Amino acid sequence: MTIEFRDVHASYDTDTPILKGVSFHVDDGEFVAFVGTNGAGKSTTMRLVNGLLKPEKGEVLIDGVSTVELKTSELARRVGFLFQNPDNQICSSTVREELLFGFRALGRLDANAEARVEEIIEEFGLNPDDDPFLLNRGTRQLLALASIVVLDTPVVVLDEPTTGLDFRECVKVMRIIRRLHESGATIVMVCHDMEVVADFAERVIVMSDGRVVDEGPTFEVLRNRHTLEVASLVPPQIVDISLALSLVRQDLRGTPVTQANDLDEMCDAVAQVKDVEYLGARGLEGGSR
Amino acid sequence: MNGFLEYVPGDSLLHRLNPVAKLLFAIVFAITCFCTGNLVFLCCMFALGIAMAASCGMMKQVLGLMKAVFVFSLILAILLVFTTPQGEMLVELPWGYIGTGSLLAAATTIVRLEAAAIPLFLTFYVTKISDLSNSVVKVLHVPYKYAFTFASTVHFIPVFMNDMKGIMEAQTARGIEFDVGGIVNKVRLMVPLCVPLLVSSVRKTNSAAIAAEVRGFNLRTRESGYKQYPFSGADFVVLALAVGLLAAAICLTVLL
Amino acid sequence: MIEIKDFTFRYRESSSPVVEGINLVIPDGAFVGITGSAGSGKSTLTYAMNGIVPHCYPGDFFGSVTVGGLDTCEASLTDISRIVGSVCQDIDSQIVTSIVEDEMLYGLENFGFAHDQIEGRIGRALADMGIADLRSRVIASLSGGQKQKVAIASILALEPKVLVLDEPTAELDPASSLQVFGLLARYAREHGTTVVVVEQKIALLSQFADMLVIVDGGKIRFADAPADVLAYSEELLEIGVNCPRATTLMNRLAATGLYAGPVCRDVEEACRALSEVIL
Repeated sequence: MTIEFRDVHASYDTDTPILKGVSFHVDDGEFVAFVGTNGAGKSTTMRLVNGLLKPEKGEVLIDGVSTVELKTSELARRVGFLFQNPDNQICSSTVREELLFGFRALGRLDANAEARVEEIIEEFGLNPDDDPFLLNRGTRQLLALASIVVLDTPVVVLDEPTTGLDFRECVKVMRIIRRLHESGATIVMVCHDMEVVADFAERVIVMSDGRVVDEGPTFEVLRNRHTLEVASLVPPQIVDISLALSLVRQDLRGTPVTQANDLDEMCDAVAQVKDVEYLGARGLEGGSR
Repeated sequence: MNGFLEYVPGDSLLHRLNPVAKLLFAIVFAITCFCTGNLVFLCCMFALGIAMAASCGMMKQVLGLMKAVFVFSLILAILLVFTTPQGEMLVELPWGYIGTGSLLAAATTIVRLEAAAIPLFLTFYVTKISDLSNSVVKVLHVPYKYAFTFASTVHFIPVFMNDMKGIMEAQTARGIEFDVGGIVNKVRLMVPLCVPLLVSSVRKTNSAAIAAEVRGFNLRTRESGYKQYPFSGADFVVLALAVGLLAAAICLTVLL
Repeated sequence: MIEIKDFTFRYRESSSPVVEGINLVIPDGAFVGITGSAGSGKSTLTYAMNGIVPHCYPGDFFGSVTVGGLDTCEASLTDISRIVGSVCQDIDSQIVTSIVEDEMLYGLENFGFAHDQIEGRIGRALADMGIADLRSRVIASLSGGQKQKVAIASILALEPKVLVLDEPTAELDPASSLQVFGLLARYAREHGTTVVVVEQKIALLSQFADMLVIVDGGKIRFADAPADVLAYSEELLEIGVNCPRATTLMNRLAATGLYAGPVCRDVEEACRALSEVIL
């Protein structure tokens, strides 16, 4: 399912515009990350995708249909939305009930739904009889994600899915999102953690002050000094090192060292320069995350 | 984006008045409205309230308030119409009649409630809640603990409303249609959502108490306030006006 | 100085201690970063320093915690709060008033600062956090990141001897997070403020902190200068702490014999080291 923004203007009250003419296109099955500083308009953009907010000017099209024309339930069937704060979403007294909630809301509560819920409980490693309010923050976030995934929406929107999570929880959540993407879902994610963006997103859209200032394949954008400057972005550390090296070491320009995007590439590149074979640990972070 | 009872920054005369003067004026004003049944006088009071709202640019907020008060007072007014058989008979009822007096009583009730409510609510829109609580501590010698409790209750209203909004949005995203089926349906859908709201509010008020305590809550005395709240000429004029209105209302009631 | 001796604490409602046998000495003016996976007890450790444990959460308290000579168990929360400024995790509950300026005034008024000092303190703290323009704003209308900055500024204005912050950058973008950490480091350096921060973003800690404390399962696993802790990137990963990638990169090159220098804490150090490796 595709998402298209055509010159979208939006605000919460008419005095202060948040989006000032945003246009972009997300293809079916893509994994796109939105990055930018606080207040750049990323979260607002996400709310427009699932129709919580309607554009004042311009159009938001989900698979070619304007969100203005779609009813809440029709949108919910197309777009799953994971909010930053899982506490806002969870309202049932057991994990199983929480997972069934979405089906009930959409009027699709049947045997299939129940089978699907059991499947997801298994996949996420949740305990169906747990009280969601007694779970820790990371598990609640996982449950919130599960309750979106269970509905099999073709588009999944994630607003800072890793905020407040520790490294292990973050890895767990992001692996599930990667699997979701591999199974064909279109993923749109807002994320402040550039390491996560670098590891997972295929394409990056950079926002600043209510506008899109750059977009393109992840590392093309994250290696663009001008973009990083304009949007006050801090690139992932390996990219940062590689960019800095290409500045101070003229002699290395064009070599793999100044083009390496992740740990493995960088280690290989350095070994290549030193003319030895790199045999170190592999895939501890980058690959396995 | 301003919510219910939330301070709206500004520099009008009402903004600048002493918080205590504003509060006392609003209270006396409300009492005045209940002291007389004279519809003309109440209409004047109502007009005065509107004029005050207009003077500080709060018409939008006051109109919203008036709508809410109108709904409430309308219920009372309808009850009055059917239960006070007064004046010339207009419609006969099995247990009495609806007369011109009934309609007059109903109209009086609506105007009275509207008039009484406006300055009270206006006070919150043009006064920072901290100024209000600090000044009642300093000027009226109300114990700080009570003033703070009141202030934090008001402070938490927008926080909780925001939470509720977040919760409703999260559920809307899952396909719950709050916007169809009218108010009854909306309430029915909202009831289960009170659980997460309750959980988060208990958590919040608990940590808020701790946060206040580690910032010296217990050290606070009447002298602690940084700002002073001296009465100016305008404040005395306002208070005199309130007393004058009250006196006029009592005179009207006694004389007529 | 903060001194924690054989500290063990169990919350009343839980069956096992959340922190156990903690020994830690933090000298004045140190910038200490605490990290560890969820539920490791890092927040409880900070609660012990600002007196929230045991004064607000009851439970079994063993050992002793002294801050600036005060025994946090015996001293009242109010007395502790004169020395220790705390920024809690949940900003919405940290904020007690409705206007930014009032939030700044709240603590200052309570602690009875001389009125002629108050204006200067508010101005400085707001300017330091880069939010002087928010001074008269209604807090409910601010974004999460802005609220977080207000909460920090309102504590900075008190200029406490010790600052304890629980995930102060959770709502902030990377640029603002860097700015906040730079500021905290400056307070430690210039005012001799002891800064204790719980933080998930380990890259920030390794770049700015003097001491890195890694908590795992209620116990301190490492407490040392960042470079000395980060040398153990593999062990850290096992307990759910992921080193900054710049550090991991150089550690890996070290493991293969390509690099022999000191541990790199940030991009800048890694760049310099790498440049030498590829000479």
